[in-house]
Amino acid sequence: MISVKDLTKVYENDGSETQALSGVTFEIKKGEFVSIMGPSGSGKSTLLHVLSFLDRPSGGEYKYMDKDMNSLTDLDLARIRNESMGFVFQAFNLLGRLSVYENVELPLLYSDVPIAKHDEMIKNAVSSVGLSEKLLVDTSRLSGGEKQRVAIARALVNSPDIIFADEPTGNLDSKSGAQIMEIFNKLNNEGRTIILVTHETYTAQFAERLLKMKDGKLESDERIQKRRRGQDGLLK
Amino acid sequence: MRFRDTVKTSYSSVRHGKLRSFLTVLGIVIGISSVIMLMSIGDSAQQYIIGQVKGIGSNLIFVIPGGSHGSKFSAPASAFGVIIKTLAQGDVNALEREPSIIDVVSQVNGQGRVVYQSNDTSISYTGATANYFAVRDVAMDKGYAFTPEDVASMNQVAVIGPTIAKTLFGDINPIGKSIRLDSASLRVVGVAEKKGIGPGGADQDNMIIIPISLAQKQILGINYFNWLTIKANDAYNMEFATSRVISVLRQTHRITNPDKDDFTVRSMEDELALLGSITGAMTAFLTAIAVISLIVGGIGVMNIMLVSVIERTREIGLRKSIGATNSDIMKQFLFESVMLTSIGGLIGVFIGVTFSFLISIVLNKFVSPDWVFSMPISAVVIAAAVSSLTGIVFGIYPAREAARKSPIEALRYE
Repeated sequence: MISVKDLTKVYENDGSETQALSGVTFEIKKGEFVSIMGPSGSGKSTLLHVLSFLDRPSGGEYKYMDKDMNSLTDLDLARIRNESMGFVFQAFNLLGRLSVYENVELPLLYSDVPIAKHDEMIKNAVSSVGLSEKLLVDTSRLSGGEKQRVAIARALVNSPDIIFADEPTGNLDSKSGAQIMEIFNKLNNEGRTIILVTHETYTAQFAERLLKMKDGKLESDERIQKRRRGQDGLLK
Repeated sequence: MRFRDTVKTSYSSVRHGKLRSFLTVLGIVIGISSVIMLMSIGDSAQQYIIGQVKGIGSNLIFVIPGGSHGSKFSAPASAFGVIIKTLAQGDVNALEREPSIIDVVSQVNGQGRVVYQSNDTSISYTGATANYFAVRDVAMDKGYAFTPEDVASMNQVAVIGPTIAKTLFGDINPIGKSIRLDSASLRVVGVAEKKGIGPGGADQDNMIIIPISLAQKQILGINYFNWLTIKANDAYNMEFATSRVISVLRQTHRITNPDKDDFTVRSMEDELALLGSITGAMTAFLTAIAVISLIVGGIGVMNIMLVSVIERTREIGLRKSIGATNSDIMKQFLFESVMLTSIGGLIGVFIGVTFSFLISIVLNKFVSPDWVFSMPISAVVIAAAVSSLTGIVFGIYPAREAARKSPIEALRYE
């Protein structure tokens, strides 16, 4: 599903260059649950941003579902982000002035999904994170755990092939964090590919595979759980 | 993003900060309501003036001594107080023989002090032939208008307007009372009906009309005229009648070169055009000021939209991360700006129409009952279009700034 080869990312700032990624190479298969760990400044978030089409690499090759990112326009990237990817951020990034329903609807506003189907899709997504009773509540009135569940519902509403999560439990207490990770586990068991960036060992252990980053390089790539999957990504 | 969703998203942002939205569009509200009021009052004034002129009689031609050799609307020297003695009884006699003319009123004007018992005031008075009242359509509220016999006999009589009647007599009936105008003692024989403010802006009711013979011989000591009012024959068109007046006067004054004309002829149509151009220029000038206030309002909108773009940087990042394109973001912010200014425009139109209506009620009551409310549809259409256009012009830069943000930098924004 994902194939990166010699990936590099260089940031230029006031004439000086910072090498955020250097020669990163790996593959991720459909249905895998992958954690990316590393100390601050190791390049894990940069890697996630490139993988999720939010940023372009400075060099190397990145193929997503056999499409070379270098051949895709910004418009193509936006469409793929909308149709095939879901995002969960550490800071939730919800619009506080909108209700749960309206926040979850956001990706659908930029999609070609007919309006008639929106209601059902939103309710299904919200129900899957257990917040059906708060559908019309403004998200500014929710707890941190609830906000992150809304963010997951928003990531799920378009039925994406892959979910990118950047420190999804970073702003949560341990109980809420565990609940969120259970949701990710469930989604992965249903066949959804998940790539998670974290600095917490506890959170990383939910994944079956752990990529460790250091100084912009892939330090290790180890399988931490044995899960047998079919072609469709579902567990056997 | 569908248009419906763009509208919904923009409306949600505008609705969220009601007070800020209101303050943002306040400049637009003031600008649009000013444009509407000025255009409405200007239009009402124009209609009022046309009505007044038509009331006086659109078939009137005026002759003033002294030539005006500039543009169509330049005034002769006599209009600025220079004494020119070229209009005489011979001119009147010749004009009265002209078939395209029905009547000629000879007039002299003077400034004097009018006194009744302990009340006195300075006033402009007119000495005129008795046909003045018929030709200028001045009807009597009380008493009668003086007659040709009064003029021939140099009787010491006067017709006064309701304003001067009020000033001198208060609630007393002035008919039969004696007033003093400079050296002449006059008996009030008539009080004219109220006419209100004239097309030139002067109070038509603050006047005294006396027989021309009395004014010329006893008060002013002159034998020429300051003014002729000529009533054209309706069977002829005004342009022809005016040209005939000019021909007759050139003959009596023995003028062959038109550049040497020592008189100025104006028809009511000319006066109408002049007044129309003055009110038009005033309306244009005031509208230009209102447009400047709209530009200031627009800059206010741009300023707030730029602040809004900065404040909502993370929102822009989020929207881009979930699939919004540059064009989607641009449309969202541009539509917000247009929505703000359009709402401001609608409020401005409402306030402008309401205030114009209230002002017309006040003017109708205190200036003239002939003043009517007028709201040109073009003013409303222009105001609505201008307010939306302001939103586009002043919203495009902030919207572009929003659209150009990179998703990752926007998401990282603190």
